[in-house]
Amino acid sequence: MTNTYVHGIGMTKFGKLESSLKELLLEACAEALNDAGRPKVDAVFVGNFMGGSISNQEILGAIVANDLGLGYIPSTKVEGACASGGIAFRQGIIGILSGEYDTVLVAGVEKMKHATTSDVTQAINAAMDTTTTEKNAGLTFPGFFGVLANRYFYEAGASKEHLARVALKNRENGVNNPLAQFPKPTTLEEIMEARMITDPLGLFDCSPMTDGAAAVVISRKKSPVHVRASSQVSGPTKMQDAENLLSIPAIGKSGRLAYEKAGVGPEDIDVIEIHDCFSMTEIIATEELGFFNRLEGWKAVEQGRTKVSGDKPVNTSGGLLSRGHPIGATGIAQIYQLVRQLRGNAANQVANNPRLALAQNLGGTGSYSTVHILERV
Amino acid sequence: MKIYSCCGKDSIAKKYYCPSCGESEFKEREVNGEGSVYSFTKIHIAPSEFAHIAPYNVVLVDLDEANAKITTRIEEDVEIGDKVTLDRIEDGAYIYKKTA
Repeated sequence: MTNTYVHGIGMTKFGKLESSLKELLLEACAEALNDAGRPKVDAVFVGNFMGGSISNQEILGAIVANDLGLGYIPSTKVEGACASGGIAFRQGIIGILSGEYDTVLVAGVEKMKHATTSDVTQAINAAMDTTTTEKNAGLTFPGFFGVLANRYFYEAGASKEHLARVALKNRENGVNNPLAQFPKPTTLEEIMEARMITDPLGLFDCSPMTDGAAAVVISRKKSPVHVRASSQVSGPTKMQDAENLLSIPAIGKSGRLAYEKAGVGPEDIDVIEIHDCFSMTEIIATEELGFFNRLEGWKAVEQGRTKVSGDKPVNTSGGLLSRGHPIGATGIAQIYQLVRQLRGNAANQVANNPRLALAQNLGGTGSYSTVHILERV
Repeated sequence: MKIYSCCGKDSIAKKYYCPSCGESEFKEREVNGEGSVYSFTKIHIAPSEFAHIAPYNVVLVDLDEANAKITTRIEEDVEIGDKVTLDRIEDGAYIYKKTA
């Protein structure tokens, strides 16, 4: 129990956008503040990964505080690769739990589409340990999940079609989400035949480069959405260090910690946003978080259990694969979607008034993971 | 190839402290580098520094003489279970080849 409540949410359209990094950030923050009724804010946390390297822009916390007229309050930028947003959210919660702050504005933002693919790839490589023999061998970020996927096929009996079904589901969800990057429907055939990025992962198996921002206002004052648990752990930073390649221990451990803090189990969760940076990652994460047995996540996909109409709806927003993945904003965009689900007005609203929602945000190839459990109260 | 061990766990890289017992003394031993393919990927979209050799195979090798794995590059296409051996170390990377 964190005794922290969500009061306001905001999110820009995701995609290739004209707005600058700063404009995106301020737009999402202003929307969240308006949604919360313009409360007095005691601190700001901003999740961002490559503002410095790609946009030559840091001090994002102070920019928010200054341009939104929040006064001389503490503000901080948080970096944790693709988990920057989830970690920023957690830092805001800890600030409230500590007693230091009553109300905190947390945002996440990334601007990527203006840069060349090679510059962005170079910047993303900073989220691996760049001093290792495996980096020297040419391992890439997607490459890690390609190696994992081939071993998963070998041990679990799954195939590329099951990965494609994850991508298809998330595209179907994204098509119904007006803020998502990809509004265009696709087919299983198009996904299966798309050009290869890193065997067996094709174009649709990989999350895109995206511009976008999201923000959330949290407070110790009560609201209808309670943050029931917050957890964060670190994991292996190298593929060759993994004790079991088919496990991403940071996800599993952060999940178990969150369930313990919340006093609930995976069977109690009604709606889920997880970090599908690659189609393979979604399947592994559903296993790590206890929704399905190990090496059986692909069967749940085949049975449609993770669809909006299934018993464990995963990534009703479209996920990273179709909502888009503006790196620092992703963890906050997950919270945005889940708050909409608990308020009952989400894109792809799940049936039967969901009460418990879970967000899992991953950084690096398993270097960071955060889990947050939200509850409608 | 050097292997570092503590608390029954092997690693190809030395850490400051053993994550199990916290000691900083690791046992060192030489192994022959032979192993089998644990898994692999063929990377088509490469970062700029590797673009000139794309597509290329990155292969996770399970070492025969240690309870450890090592990330390598192999020029030939491989399948899981193929026997492989160290060919050379080039630009800080372990380049493996199929065992004849």
